[in-house]
Amino acid sequence: MRLFDPHIHMTSRTTDDYAAMYASGVRALVEPAFWSGQPRTNVGSFIDYFDSLLGWERFRAAQFGIRHHATIALNPKEANDPRCVPILEELPRYLIKEGVVAVGEIGYDSMTAAEDEAFSRQLELALEFSLPVMVHTPHREKLAGTYRTLDVVRESGVAPGMVVVDHLNETNVELVKNAGAWMGFSIYPDTKMDEQRMVAILARYGTERVLVNSAADWGRSDPLKTFSTANAMLAAGFTSDDVDQVLWCNPVEFYGQSGQLILGPIPGFDEAGPLDATAGFEGNSVLRGARA
Amino acid sequence: MTASGLTSTSTMPFSLGYGTNGFADHPLPVALGLIAEQGYDAVALTLGHPHLDPYAEDLGDQLQSLRRLLDELGLRVVIETGTRFLLDPRHKHRPALVDDEATTRVVFLRRAIDIAAALQAECVSFFSGVLPEGTTAEVGWQRLTSRVAEIVEYARDKGVLLAVEPEPGMVVETVSDVLRLRAELGNPRNLRVTVDIGHCVVVEPDGVRGALLLAGPLLANVQLDDMRPHAHEHLPFGEGDVDLPLALATLAELDYRGVAAVELPRHSYDAPGLAARSIHALRAGWHDAGRIGENGRWLQESATAIATGTGTLSTIFTLARRHVGRGPIRPDNDPTGVLFGTACDHLRGQLIGRLGDVLPPDELAQALLTLYGNGDSAERRGVLRGLGALSTGSQQLPDTVVSVGLRLTNEALRTNESGVVAAAVGPFAATYLDQHSWRHAVLKLVFMGISLQAVAHLTERADDELARMASDFAAERTAAGRPVPDDVQLLLQASSSYSTSS
Repeated sequence: MRLFDPHIHMTSRTTDDYAAMYASGVRALVEPAFWSGQPRTNVGSFIDYFDSLLGWERFRAAQFGIRHHATIALNPKEANDPRCVPILEELPRYLIKEGVVAVGEIGYDSMTAAEDEAFSRQLELALEFSLPVMVHTPHREKLAGTYRTLDVVRESGVAPGMVVVDHLNETNVELVKNAGAWMGFSIYPDTKMDEQRMVAILARYGTERVLVNSAADWGRSDPLKTFSTANAMLAAGFTSDDVDQVLWCNPVEFYGQSGQLILGPIPGFDEAGPLDATAGFEGNSVLRGARA
Repeated sequence: MTASGLTSTSTMPFSLGYGTNGFADHPLPVALGLIAEQGYDAVALTLGHPHLDPYAEDLGDQLQSLRRLLDELGLRVVIETGTRFLLDPRHKHRPALVDDEATTRVVFLRRAIDIAAALQAECVSFFSGVLPEGTTAEVGWQRLTSRVAEIVEYARDKGVLLAVEPEPGMVVETVSDVLRLRAELGNPRNLRVTVDIGHCVVVEPDGVRGALLLAGPLLANVQLDDMRPHAHEHLPFGEGDVDLPLALATLAELDYRGVAAVELPRHSYDAPGLAARSIHALRAGWHDAGRIGENGRWLQESATAIATGTGTLSTIFTLARRHVGRGPIRPDNDPTGVLFGTACDHLRGQLIGRLGDVLPPDELAQALLTLYGNGDSAERRGVLRGLGALSTGSQQLPDTVVSVGLRLTNEALRTNESGVVAAAVGPFAATYLDQHSWRHAVLKLVFMGISLQAVAHLTERADDELARMASDFAAERTAAGRPVPDDVQLLLQASSSYSTSS
């Protein structure tokens, strides 16, 4: 089983997680830029973070046989801090970099005027750079936030097929489906969405334009939720082709619109199974270096 | 055709050939048949045993039937004269043109010219010889010029082109030596240049591309083989350090229309196999040469755009990857591109090398800082490779550029990303990094498990202190019951043959 986690914050995870993800079949992922738990206070903090997503984190993932991609944006929460907003001026140079597959996470947190402004500006950037968009829906006021999100996207001129609206649940899935956007679901241990509810949503709305992610970060979350959702789908009678569509082909199709996905096996790994860690990485054992 | 017009589907302007000295275990007609069968369009015919005896009584008849066979097989021919022990059974390549007594050599070369005329060969290629013991360079040079002058005149009367081949260890060792010889003789029109691309990695100061460009329109004969920098040993393609695609791209750039023949005189035991593998390697190399041509066009356009202000350097630098891709440049030896970089690393490095020609030092230094500072890991590798290109391209870099280069190199060496660290120990670090930092960089590679093949000029800079550090590292590993990397041994050996240089 090959798995693609379309939304996971690996910067917050351990190497054990990478190893477990590889063992369960994860071969590619997308790490969206977001906040870091502790609020940022300046532009430099974003720059080091973005550089780390495109540098060290991608390197770290490669040590474990996983292709790492990123989305880049000013997140909705920090769009409210005027000290952080000037990072918008730095975004263009990041949006042409290798493996940057979307503008995101953007959208609403508290639905403020500042969030409106950052959201619109970044939708313009997505149009300018022909990139898909990853939109985060708010934790509070989710339904109202989803309506407003879809309105803003419609006004921006970005095609709905270039947009994934994430963290959906039973209350707003239909809205997003009817708008023609991609539907993102974050499977969490005890909030947002779980495997059984996910299977029920798939049974009701079908497997097209659905992305399932773990959205694992530094909070209570589980990087193997793509794997457990795949198993739940099989247990519920979905075919392995259905599983492959939702957990590989769909994210590949969505993010593939960027032209920036890199999916071939990493040298030293194959698609069959995990690497023998003692064998080194094509004879030069960078694994050791990675752990240094 | 110019390099900028070369594409991966262009046809070669020159003819690929194979040298008969690599078919010493086959009779000549059989060898020629096998060479043609593999798809070669030319043959480099070495006179003498075991093939064509230049002193045979029925030489005229032999040449007539040979010419017919070449016509039937569609082969062009060049005459090679580097037969061992032909004139002196005890001393290889004696007498030489630089010896006190060289009559038999001159007579032999005249005979070679006669044969070339009879066969309508493209040229006669010959070398100068090793300076005999007790002879000064001046005397050797004087003997050479007077004898070559005589041969040139003889060849002119016969309408035959001559091509002098620089050979490692001989009086004429580089293309610039040939040009000096030619100038002293008044630049005779029929005196041209042979370049063996393998020799270039051993003796040519500007490498294979530099040597071929220097020969330029005077290039009349090319020998193709691989070679390592410290050993004059002709190797099959892929076993040495010759950049074959670059060599072929340069020949295309020069619109070279002569013969380029494989030269593997010590591999007759497997001649048919090597003829097949060599042409396969040459075709693959030509395909890659097309990409070099396309990259050359991109570099030219990019440099122009930057110089005229119609393009932004940082955007062009970032987007280089969309032009060239990210494959490793030595996939067999380094599938991840960690040690020797990716195609894109090198294209970015070449672009920076070009900037050295168009930007004043202060602007170049600022550009390096910006490109590195704004770069992702791949772009940073490109900047580091670019520092290497700058430091090998000119004599001494301006202080401002060196200062920025050192800052970036040290920054890169603090990272733990193997590709970035490996790119930081190239020619720039070898030339400019202080000995303490350089030793720590080398030890860091060993610690990270990155092969020391990544290090430029390792043996030249390795010293006793580095060996001491490597030995302590090995002791630490042994005490922990962990394996000691093979490269530690390399550092210990390096110090036993090179003295402390700090």
